[in-house]
Amino acid sequence: MRRRFPAILGLAILIGSAAALGAPPALKPFERGTWQSVLKGHAGRPMLVHFWGVTCGPCKVELPLLGQFAKDHPEIDVVTISADLVPNLPAATQSMLDKAGLSSTENFIFSDGFVERLRFEIDPAWQGDIPRTMLFSRDGTVTTIEGSAEIPDLEKWSAQQLSKH
Amino acid sequence: MIRTGVLAILALACVQGEAHAQMRAPHASEAACEEPALRCATKATPAFGPDGTLWLVWMAGGQVSVASSLDEGRSFSTPTQVTTKRLNLDWGPDARPKIAVDLKGGIALAFSIFRDEAFNGQVLTTRSTDGGKSFAELKPITASNESQRFEALALDEDGTVFAAWLDKRNRVPAKEAGRKYEGAALFFASSRDGGATYAEAQLARDGTCECCRLGLAFAAPGRPVVIFRNIFAGGVRDHAVMTFTDVATSGEVRRVSTDDWQINACPHHGPSLTVAPSGTYHVAWYTNGKARKGLFYAHSRDEGRTFSAPMPLGQPGRNPTRPFVLASPAGTVMVWKEFDGEKTSVQMTISRDDGETWSPPRTISSTSDTSDHPLLVANGRQVYLSWMTKADGYRLTAIEDQP
Repeated sequence: MRRRFPAILGLAILIGSAAALGAPPALKPFERGTWQSVLKGHAGRPMLVHFWGVTCGPCKVELPLLGQFAKDHPEIDVVTISADLVPNLPAATQSMLDKAGLSSTENFIFSDGFVERLRFEIDPAWQGDIPRTMLFSRDGTVTTIEGSAEIPDLEKWSAQQLSKH
Repeated sequence: MIRTGVLAILALACVQGEAHAQMRAPHASEAACEEPALRCATKATPAFGPDGTLWLVWMAGGQVSVASSLDEGRSFSTPTQVTTKRLNLDWGPDARPKIAVDLKGGIALAFSIFRDEAFNGQVLTTRSTDGGKSFAELKPITASNESQRFEALALDEDGTVFAAWLDKRNRVPAKEAGRKYEGAALFFASSRDGGATYAEAQLARDGTCECCRLGLAFAAPGRPVVIFRNIFAGGVRDHAVMTFTDVATSGEVRRVSTDDWQINACPHHGPSLTVAPSGTYHVAWYTNGKARKGLFYAHSRDEGRTFSAPMPLGQPGRNPTRPFVLASPAGTVMVWKEFDGEKTSVQMTISRDDGETWSPPRTISSTSDTSDHPLLVANGRQVYLSWMTKADGYRLTAIEDQP
């Protein structure tokens, strides 16, 4: 009995501190088939999917702007996918997401060494250039932005999503 | 007692947390294994020596190693490890170790590492004077501490090693002066002692794309040519060639093609260049421009002043990537990768009239998992495909004479 008490207390402290810290959900692995489940999971809702990577210069500039956009637009499902290259670096990826204010969005990281196959599932014409943003409207219309997205364009698109609702 | 219990649980939770994190973000490697051995390599670069020996440099398990083959890549000598410790090697898709073997059998190497957590690169060089048995201590190619990546090496007829790379040193003064600075710069240096030491680095061109491999060849003795993804006005990342006046003097920037790819992104997809004995420049590249999209080939018979109309390569629905072109006495050969949703294949086409006409492409190799870029290497008589694959290891395949 005496032994169980500290164990329960320890767990309570752990859960309490995790809740207090608002521990962000960890990076999810992006593997074969993940793309289809992302599409199914957000079907019928406006979704912005952002592909980026830790070694990509323009991505470093864009990511914090996207963090602010996500904060300003809770009605849009923002999903990030670190599609940099293999080996992907979970710690560096999470750190950049945290700094950009994207800790609490749904964040994936490429987790299959066969990146050609992962990219082919998303878009057979995509060669891997990043950043890249895909906008999914409620009606399933997809708009792909190659390179850094302009935030005013995203604002315009999100306003259209609200007006359609 | 209570404190012990809490600490124990915290410790256990930490261990579990770490294990859980690993499970959720499993290590996804493009390598078959994590040792320095060739079978674990993600990138392997070949070169033939003057005596017909095939030399191979590769990166595997954080190390760079070299070995040679006397039987067309069927077996290799015991590898010599060039690095003495595991390094954070540049693993970008367009990065790879470079090798040049001179007429005396001296071997010059260059490769990039990430020097910090912000992925700034550093180009390291070394050479062997004892037939690859040992390599000198690694030296930076330049004293600059700003980022350098995507080095290329080529040998001049007199044994001079010419190196070109992408360098970000000019970003700092531009930023301090409040000027906008896009991309990186093309820098170069040469070595008169077989790659042991390099002359001071010189600027060839500011405002190049920062994340694509270079193509490098010699147009004539003393006259290197570089192909690179330039940033033209309006942020258009199209290709250009520069023919150097000599190994210490840069030349004009000449546009290969107006693809009009305006993009603020890292394409991670650089070009390829070879110069035929006739002096014809053969180039292949990837673009996603407004004018055209996909892989293309063109040639120039006037040192890059004008190029032929871009010729599309590959099947658009099969994601053609990573073109490589090599001129040889047997013809000019081109290879690239295609992907059908399950398998990656290497497609090959050959021209016997210096690039005027090309044979119908055909599959010369394929693999069911990830792979390095397909490269071509020639020993003066025969052209070979050099291809590192995760599932099937290293392959050297003779390009058959008849298409």
